[in-house]
Amino acid sequence: MAEFDIEPGAARDSVLIASGSFDNFEQMSSSLEEIITENAVSSREDLNLIGAQADNGEESSSKAENGVEPEEEIENSVEWTSKKKHIFVLSTAGKPIYSRYGNEDKLAWLFGVMLGLFKYSRDSIKSIHAGDTTYVFLSKKPLILVAVSKTGESVSQLTLQLNYVFNQIVSMLTLKRLTKTYDERPNYDLRRLLTGVDRLIDHLLDFSETEPAFTLGAIQCLPLALPDRDSISKAIKDACSKIKNLVFAILLGNNRLITIVQMKKYHLHPMDLHLIFNLVLANESLKYSESWTPFCLPRFDNSGFLYAHVSYLADDCQACLLLLTVERDVFFPLSGAKQKIVEKLRINGGMEHINASLASLEESALAAGFPEVRHYLYKCKSTAQFYQPAACPPYARDRIKLMELYKRAHHKMHYSSRSLKLSFERSADEAVFSWDTKGFELYAIFEPLIETSSAIMSVSKLLNWIKKREDKLFHLNAYTF
Amino acid sequence: MASNKKVLLKVIILGDSSVGKTSLMNQYVNRKFSNQYKATIGADFLTKEVTIDDRTVTMQIWDTAGQERFQSLGVAFYRGADCCVLVFDVTAPNTFKSLDSWRDEFLIQAAPREPDNFPFVLLGNKVDLEPRAISAKRAQQWCQSKNSIPYFETSAKEGLNVEQAFLAIAKNALAQQNQTVDLYNEFPDQIKLSNAQRPNNGADACGC
Repeated sequence: MAEFDIEPGAARDSVLIASGSFDNFEQMSSSLEEIITENAVSSREDLNLIGAQADNGEESSSKAENGVEPEEEIENSVEWTSKKKHIFVLSTAGKPIYSRYGNEDKLAWLFGVMLGLFKYSRDSIKSIHAGDTTYVFLSKKPLILVAVSKTGESVSQLTLQLNYVFNQIVSMLTLKRLTKTYDERPNYDLRRLLTGVDRLIDHLLDFSETEPAFTLGAIQCLPLALPDRDSISKAIKDACSKIKNLVFAILLGNNRLITIVQMKKYHLHPMDLHLIFNLVLANESLKYSESWTPFCLPRFDNSGFLYAHVSYLADDCQACLLLLTVERDVFFPLSGAKQKIVEKLRINGGMEHINASLASLEESALAAGFPEVRHYLYKCKSTAQFYQPAACPPYARDRIKLMELYKRAHHKMHYSSRSLKLSFERSADEAVFSWDTKGFELYAIFEPLIETSSAIMSVSKLLNWIKKREDKLFHLNAYTF
Repeated sequence: MASNKKVLLKVIILGDSSVGKTSLMNQYVNRKFSNQYKATIGADFLTKEVTIDDRTVTMQIWDTAGQERFQSLGVAFYRGADCCVLVFDVTAPNTFKSLDSWRDEFLIQAAPREPDNFPFVLLGNKVDLEPRAISAKRAQQWCQSKNSIPYFETSAKEGLNVEQAFLAIAKNALAQQNQTVDLYNEFPDQIKLSNAQRPNNGADACGC
């Protein structure tokens, strides 16, 4: 097998918090209070700045319009019962908050049954297994989340998804507000505060069915040559250096990370970044205006909001820039900073590089010279980044099938009663190679007739290939404000 | 998720076993009645949509078991209720005497913010049966003593007063909900909270 001093994609300073896929969900990396306290100095200048620029830009709406669904009585239909994965959210009083399919009002009785099961077990039930259906309960005070799945996903994988749904709700309210709401009124109908958030949750659930980032707990980058990515990061850093209390500047394009520039000492958790990706992808309307929205990053600090200036770089460059600050009224300074970033990126060619990469088709394993490899996932653990080639037949149209293979393999490596380090499993349709080392994880799917020895040789070659391109496929140099 | 106009009310039905809680609910939701007695195991749940003053109100009705051995499960459901319906059998004096303990237990377990103003409704069921043991006057007196809660005489069998009683239940619960200010406005901004903990508030880093 390939030997490296350092695994492909490793970097001295990771932009992301390295994470196991299912680590402690409660732990937070920072506190907003700390940021405010540490950056308290010279804030008066900031206020002047706000005043000076206050009438330069135009205000824009931040919330997407409410999705109004047509009322259909599908709750008793075969269509409803045959859905492969249901997700429900209820309050500890048993009031419905969210149902992935159908109108949760019409399903109010079902939420009662769910609370009944949960209470009957004295709040301790984790899962029920009945035939091919798995019921998973997750208690996240003050909410209860339930998954009913026929997808074959494991309890831990479904629990992870429920955690994401919970975090999505927290991202809109903060945990503090959520808890306080129910402390004061246990009968509260939370849907009043969550208008429109159901669309975000819907998108998150669909998104996570085809996107390996969630299962891996990692982020995929837009391929860019190292100097190009550096010049983009530097342009953002320079344009924002005078702005106080800016915590993160994130640039993404086409569901890939271009760069993150962050305040010293503060790091983003991949789980939070996934929520940001989801926010951007679920809201078409962000494309057409500069938006200002409060957004809580639950793994960063679940008690408070960051405020995000969200905009696409330009009509001719569809990369989305998010500037996240602890200040709630600095839209105009950040709008100005964004203009500066755009100017710099036009001059230094950053925008061209981004456009070129966005426009170029992602390479399949076949095109890269690995005809025997149908698809693979490579994750560098220390930087929480991963790479996958473009999907090609037979999975090009069936991303869900591809994800199911990976979820199965991932579960076997991490959460079965005896977790594995290396596995090669052949079925009638494909052969799946999984390898978990200290530095990386690799999952590769081969055509089913491949010899074990050739598969191992391929993997070795594949790792060398990735290593050679690591400075393009991964975000290696972290920039700070 | 629903728009702001939609409301969901959690309604708990309490009372001794065999006073007709399930029958009342079935009559109300399904317009059906059966003379056969089937004890409720644990709890039963039904949903009914009503329109009150242009608002679509979904009633999530929690029919609990009256039998004592299910009590421990029942009380776990009380929290977060919007209205509590107490039911007794007008031909069975014991079921009327139990009302106090049902009400007290509910208030202890549900712990509503304003127990004195929590919406209760009392239903005297089985008025189609003879002989009557509890007069309407006696029931009304009890209601008066409990901060004048509304009283209805019903017959689940004949569908008498059932619709009206549940409408009153929904209205009461709704009125209670409307009284409370929307929490959204009560909340100070999060950043301000942590800001306030700073010893020196002079330079307002938060800019708020």
